[in-house]
Amino acid sequence: MPPAAATNLGYTPPDGGWGWAIVVGAFISIGFSYAFPKSLTIYFKDIQEYFAVSYSEIAWVSSVMLASMYAAGPVSSILVNRYGSRPVVMVGGVLVSTGMVLASFGTAIIHLYLCIGVIGGFGLAFNLQPALTIIGTYFQVKRPLANGLAMTGSPVVLFTLAPLNQFLLDSFGWRGSFLILGGIVLNCCVAGSLMRPVNKKALKKPEKTEPPECNGGAAEEAATVDTITQSDNLTEENQKESKSQGCVNRFIDISLFKHRGFLIYLIGNVVMFFGFFAPVVFLAPCAKHKGIDEYSAAFLLSIFALADMFIRPTTGFIGNTKWIRPRIQYFFSFAVSYNGVCHLLFPLASEYTGLVVYAVFFGFAFGMLSALLFEVLMDLVGAHRFSSAVGLVTIIECGPVLLGPPLSGALVDIFGDYKYMYYACGVFMLVPGIFFFIMHYFNYRRLDKERGQIVAVDVRTCEEAVELKTNPDDKAAHDTDE
Amino acid sequence: MLASWKQLIFQILLLLISCRHINTTSPDPTPPPLVPIDSLPRDVRRAAFKGEGQIEKVELLNPVNLELVCTWTGHQNKESNITGFWRKDGLEIENSHLTVQLQNEQYQLQQVFNIVSEENLGNYSCVFESEVKIDFVVAVPQIGEIRDKPVVTYVGDSGVITCKMEDSKPMPNTWKWYKANGTDKEEIFAAAEPQRYEIKNNERKTKLLVNNLTMADSGLYYCGAVYTLSTSMGHVELKVITYYEPLKPFMAIVAEVFILVTAILLFERSRSKKNDTEGDMMSDQTNTLSPGENNGLEGSSSMRQRKT
Repeated sequence: MPPAAATNLGYTPPDGGWGWAIVVGAFISIGFSYAFPKSLTIYFKDIQEYFAVSYSEIAWVSSVMLASMYAAGPVSSILVNRYGSRPVVMVGGVLVSTGMVLASFGTAIIHLYLCIGVIGGFGLAFNLQPALTIIGTYFQVKRPLANGLAMTGSPVVLFTLAPLNQFLLDSFGWRGSFLILGGIVLNCCVAGSLMRPVNKKALKKPEKTEPPECNGGAAEEAATVDTITQSDNLTEENQKESKSQGCVNRFIDISLFKHRGFLIYLIGNVVMFFGFFAPVVFLAPCAKHKGIDEYSAAFLLSIFALADMFIRPTTGFIGNTKWIRPRIQYFFSFAVSYNGVCHLLFPLASEYTGLVVYAVFFGFAFGMLSALLFEVLMDLVGAHRFSSAVGLVTIIECGPVLLGPPLSGALVDIFGDYKYMYYACGVFMLVPGIFFFIMHYFNYRRLDKERGQIVAVDVRTCEEAVELKTNPDDKAAHDTDE
Repeated sequence: MLASWKQLIFQILLLLISCRHINTTSPDPTPPPLVPIDSLPRDVRRAAFKGEGQIEKVELLNPVNLELVCTWTGHQNKESNITGFWRKDGLEIENSHLTVQLQNEQYQLQQVFNIVSEENLGNYSCVFESEVKIDFVVAVPQIGEIRDKPVVTYVGDSGVITCKMEDSKPMPNTWKWYKANGTDKEEIFAAAEPQRYEIKNNERKTKLLVNNLTMADSGLYYCGAVYTLSTSMGHVELKVITYYEPLKPFMAIVAEVFILVTAILLFERSRSKKNDTEGDMMSDQTNTLSPGENNGLEGSSSMRQRKT
């Protein structure tokens, strides 16, 4: 494990202990947030027959839920900034539960749109943001690993919910199933109750800041380059003037739009999300189109989910190593580009074996990207601005996430072949990947330069202060460095 | 006197003559008339013997003169004449024995059957030498895509059952619905009870809506695709349950959530009370949380502390 960098959070995150319980809670919350909308598709056929509507009308339920989940991001961020993670997650759990129970008594399709789509979507948003935020408060050194483990919730919950939903549908019909799902999703409240706010007072760093600073020169090689402190330190100076923006800034940090790293992340992600979900959605239909039977096509999705499940904690672990952690943005860029390459090579697969190989590689790519998605944002903007950042990012990503699959579907309909859609998705992922590589190269250079300036200033002030300090303090700092 | 006798004899004679013309039709169990009726169209189906258990499907909609042709290349030592006959549903058809001659290195057995009604449908087999046979299953198109799991609905709610004839098969003339009543089927007439039943037919699809369900409505429902010759059936099960059924697991899960949340919060309250009473030991607590790393954290000096 690389030695921890001191943070400007005002305290040292525990990096363990109750933090692992937080990871379990986040696992459940994130799992439900991502897997729940996808798993509801099993009920669509029955509901479609019951309400006598077309398939696209019923598919809107999923879209409205996803749209609400992303659009409610800023609301969630504001609430987390104000009240902390725990109450928001518990309210979110109650909201989704209420939505599902109300939907089970619905008499028109619009009831489903409102109850599952809007109320459910809001509830899931109230689960996702706080879960991600609280990991940043509990972990610093092991944060990539914690993020990777928490994000594994999504494929695991999906894997569990899919057969469970089928069983519920066969036993209770769609109404009873919605009622029981309302109960199951209430377990998000359990996850919320685990999210105890971190005890900042107990973990506050003691005020012996002067001697450690003076070892700035020696510690430079050993220390992890933490872009959190750098970017935060620098933009804070810029922000002293904009403190007067007051009202909005208290709720959500709009000044993030001036943050270099945040802008790079945002631009890349907006383009990337056009091609992110569509390949998953169309994997089974494309396989059937190539002549594979229905069960083997469904099995492809299971292979994909298993590969995804396995790679997420692994990516978290790799991201935590001392070689990757300082330059984790490059690892993320690699993951995005790898996705793109995977999709561009997909049309080469013609028989079932080729499709299986693609499913495995795509599962790895998808999982890698998902595990790092929020870790790199935390790395760029810092843990205490992360809540606002993720809120802004999700509402802006709302557009591409919703438009991606229908646009890809339109491509398939126009050309009558899936390969053009995969080429398009591949390009949509490869271009941001390369963009990230280039921009982060420049960003790291700028940050290193700025850090060099800060350290130079530090050394000067240190030399003045060092005459006042005694030697043993320095020696103790040296010993514990390695 | 002689005149009345003559009248009686004459009347008896008349009676006998008219009696001769009265035909009593005895129900004939199996065979269709082997003489074709010329007004019907002719449909020819051929099959060559490939192996044992060979079954050919013949889908018919309307009455036809069905000509079935079987060919067989024969054994190693081909005799010039062999016998062949036809069976229907396992029973030999009378007067169907023929002597087949070897022509162009194969034997050919053909027969024209009059398929006019439901009794004429079934399993026709051509048999060579009582060992080589090909089965022809003559039937109306069968409903393939049918739901095998029951439709679960609730008391007071409405249930929808659908049946569909695939696009690859011919369209039925109309659809009919039946409810199973013991071993019998009772036809459902939507017009008779419009509040309860509604049938929506749409060429290839049919939908049965049952409103205001009660427990008695549970059971098997049959949809029949009506063709001129016959009706092909498919069945779907409807299960009606009360709201208490899903409510029980739901309450169990809510109780579990409640218990877990209370337990976790109580555990936390008791730990924080312990922390408060142990006041000064707080620094020790942070050490026990992460022993090794914390010392490292306090000692490492990468970045200077900044006020946030």
